[in-house]
Amino acid sequence: MKVKIKSWMGVATWRWIANDENCGICRMSFENCCPECSLPGDDCPLVWGACSHCFHMHCIVKWLNSQPNSQQCPMCRQNWKFNIQ
Amino acid sequence: MTDIDAVWERTCKVFPILKKTLSETSVGNEDIEHVIRELSALGLCESVYESAFIEFDFILRQQIVPRFWKHFESVPDPDTGFYNFQLAVHELYSDFSRAQEVLRRLTLFRQVCRLKNQEKVAKSEEATFDELFRSVLLSQLAANFNDIVYAFYKVSFRIFANSYDNNDQDEFAEDMIELNCNGCGKETERCRCQELVCAFNTTNKHLYKMHLLDKLAGYTLTNLIQERITAHVEETCKGVFDASHIKNLQKWLDTIVINWLTRIFNRGSSKISEGDGYTHNVIENFRIKLSYFLYETYAKLIIDQFFNIIIDFPDSQLAIDDLKVCLEKIDLRKHLIKTLKQSLEARLLHPGVNTMDILTGYVAAIKAIRHLDPSGVLLETTTEPIKEYLRKRSDTVRCVITGLTEEGPTDLAEELAKSETLKENVDVKGKDEMLNWEVWNPDPIDASPVPRPKRTSRSADIISMVVDIYGSKELFVNEYRNLLADRLLVQLDFNPEKEIRNLELLKLRFGDSLLHSCEVMLKDISDSKRINSHIQSDLNYSNGKAFPISSLILSSQFWPAFNKETLELPDEIQDEFKKYTTSYEAYKGNRTLVWRPVTGRVVLEIELAGRTLEMTVNPTQAAIIHYFQERNEWALEELSGLLKIPPSILRKRISFWQTQGLIKERDTDIYTLIDEMEQSQVDPSQSQEICEEDESESAMASASDQREEELQVFWSYIVGMLTNLDSMPIERIHQMLKMFASHGSGVEFTQEELKNFLQRKVREYKLIYNGGVYHLPK
Ligand SMILES: [Zn+2]
Ligand SMILES: [Zn+2]
Ligand SMILES: [Zn+2]
Repeated sequence: MKVKIKSWMGVATWRWIANDENCGICRMSFENCCPECSLPGDDCPLVWGACSHCFHMHCIVKWLNSQPNSQQCPMCRQNWKFNIQ
Repeated sequence: MTDIDAVWERTCKVFPILKKTLSETSVGNEDIEHVIRELSALGLCESVYESAFIEFDFILRQQIVPRFWKHFESVPDPDTGFYNFQLAVHELYSDFSRAQEVLRRLTLFRQVCRLKNQEKVAKSEEATFDELFRSVLLSQLAANFNDIVYAFYKVSFRIFANSYDNNDQDEFAEDMIELNCNGCGKETERCRCQELVCAFNTTNKHLYKMHLLDKLAGYTLTNLIQERITAHVEETCKGVFDASHIKNLQKWLDTIVINWLTRIFNRGSSKISEGDGYTHNVIENFRIKLSYFLYETYAKLIIDQFFNIIIDFPDSQLAIDDLKVCLEKIDLRKHLIKTLKQSLEARLLHPGVNTMDILTGYVAAIKAIRHLDPSGVLLETTTEPIKEYLRKRSDTVRCVITGLTEEGPTDLAEELAKSETLKENVDVKGKDEMLNWEVWNPDPIDASPVPRPKRTSRSADIISMVVDIYGSKELFVNEYRNLLADRLLVQLDFNPEKEIRNLELLKLRFGDSLLHSCEVMLKDISDSKRINSHIQSDLNYSNGKAFPISSLILSSQFWPAFNKETLELPDEIQDEFKKYTTSYEAYKGNRTLVWRPVTGRVVLEIELAGRTLEMTVNPTQAAIIHYFQERNEWALEELSGLLKIPPSILRKRISFWQTQGLIKERDTDIYTLIDEMEQSQVDPSQSQEICEEDESESAMASASDQREEELQVFWSYIVGMLTNLDSMPIERIHQMLKMFASHGSGVEFTQEELKNFLQRKVREYKLIYNGGVYHLPK
């Protein structure tokens, strides 16, 4: 007997490659979207800081805007710098 | 002494009753007064007066009454029955009339000789006789007497009703020359209706004069009329729901029945004279009693047919309006509820009826019952069993969704289209209710006394009522989501445009937020297609692949939980998925894929000696057959270890290949590839059942799995309660948790669900169940 796979339709879930599960600002899962958004993933992406913390992009932008004097990571209080990977 | 004899002779001539006869003698008043004076001189007045009544008693007992009842001894046919009765009454009346002359003389007698007890005799002679007459008559009542009276009046009623009908429909009369008269049943030419009516009127007049009409005929008349009413209501109203009958019925009662009765009680005339208050009262009493009976009969007829009325709705509105009118006069609520519940149960709630039909019936019932009782109380009481039954059917949500999104018998789609306008009206209506608080009525007492959690508004619209099958729209939407997930992942037979259109319709109704997950799910499916084609075009990927993979890539947070079924694919297959994942990671940057190997669909080409099979199977089945390609024989244990599938489930999965005729169980739990020579002998037609059973499995965690997860929230409460109270029966635990639930999480659950949860804890040795109560292990 010989079995040949002609096609395979599989099912997967996508996941962010991050060292945490939830956004430290909105507390939502990274696989969920930030409170401002309704669609996850492409429409509500993650960004990483130089400190290696990551957040929903919308969350950290909002956070930084609310802190006009100091641009710090809300988790580690280091100066926030976007890490362009 | 001769003197006394002569006086006696003369006395008997004046009062022949003393010789036990009513035969009349013509005597002048002077003769009577003469005899009285003679008797008075002898001091015999009193004893003669009394003997006269003793003789009356004797004659009644021995002659008149037995003769009357003798007419009723033989069992008559209806025709002679009529004449028998007429004759008997006629004879009785002639005796009665002759007695009147005797009574007149006795009255004179009493007055002339001023009998001592005259003051004491409060009653007239007539009244004394009447009483005697009636009591003797009734004391000898013939057994079949009521039958004869019944036959007599029945003939008369038929003639009367018929003559009425003829007057009513003159224009048709010529076309409908019937051979026999509808009234008397004789050939038309020899119709004797006229004669019978005469006899009838005379007889009633006689009975009336003897004060016997009520006593002899009252009971039978009432029975007869009630029977006629029942028959008439059946004839004219049964199965006719698109017309109001009340007016005609009332008219029929007032004209035919009441007129007929009036003639009976009013000596043949249908006009009661102004001063005759007595007859007025009699007829008025009949009218009231019979009206009630009419309404009751009609209401019961409608109630008995209510299921058909539901099915015919809205064409049957007029019948329901009639029932409403009846119910205002007669309280039949209990009967209505009981009958309605029974008929719904008998017609809808059994395995032979498919879910769509039950749902259609339910929607029709909602409309019809709410038309009857806008308060919604009746609806709630009578349809609870339907809801409960539908909740147990696994395809109910599917049918509801189909109903909501496709034209069909349920009319749900139509209702959904209406729902937009309905939402706008809600506020206005609420205001009205506030303005009308003064005329607010409390719920009828049959409203369920215990308020259920999250009761939907009683005046909720039909879709809410349907959705209410699941207790709340959240639970309904949740069921819909599970259904959608299954369709998208397992059945793969969905039509994306249609699903999107459905979703848009449902969003209109249930709001965007509840259905947001479903929207993401559908978007995942269409995104997957795009991602797929991108990955296929990635040369790094497509050049190195062993077989084509396509994937549904899901946003885990928005899909219902998967079931816990496991599968580990053979390495060479896993490698292919790793390649796919790599390409995905390159495309989407910072994102990766977590495969769920157990779900999916695989097309295989199996080459056997001399033939090639192409089949579509699930991944587990594909993995199993893949291993048998490497080796002919596997022990269940070994395969179970490789595939990471528990043996009990694996056995079930292997059976698919057994029914396909490729694998056999050589020895207990030892499976072998069937020799290629043998393969052709296996009949593949047997395979059908297991395959189908397999197809129907769901990739999602079942509702009860999810429930248990939800109940986990309460576990610490339960432990706390049992620590404090030592042991508790399930009812108690359920009650207390419901209290917590109503303040806290908002999770609702039945005692049954709680029991499943607690039993699981018992299996996990975290609880002990003993003697009907739960307690913690020491
Ligand atoms: Zn966030
Ligand atoms: Zn966002
Ligand atoms: Zn940081």
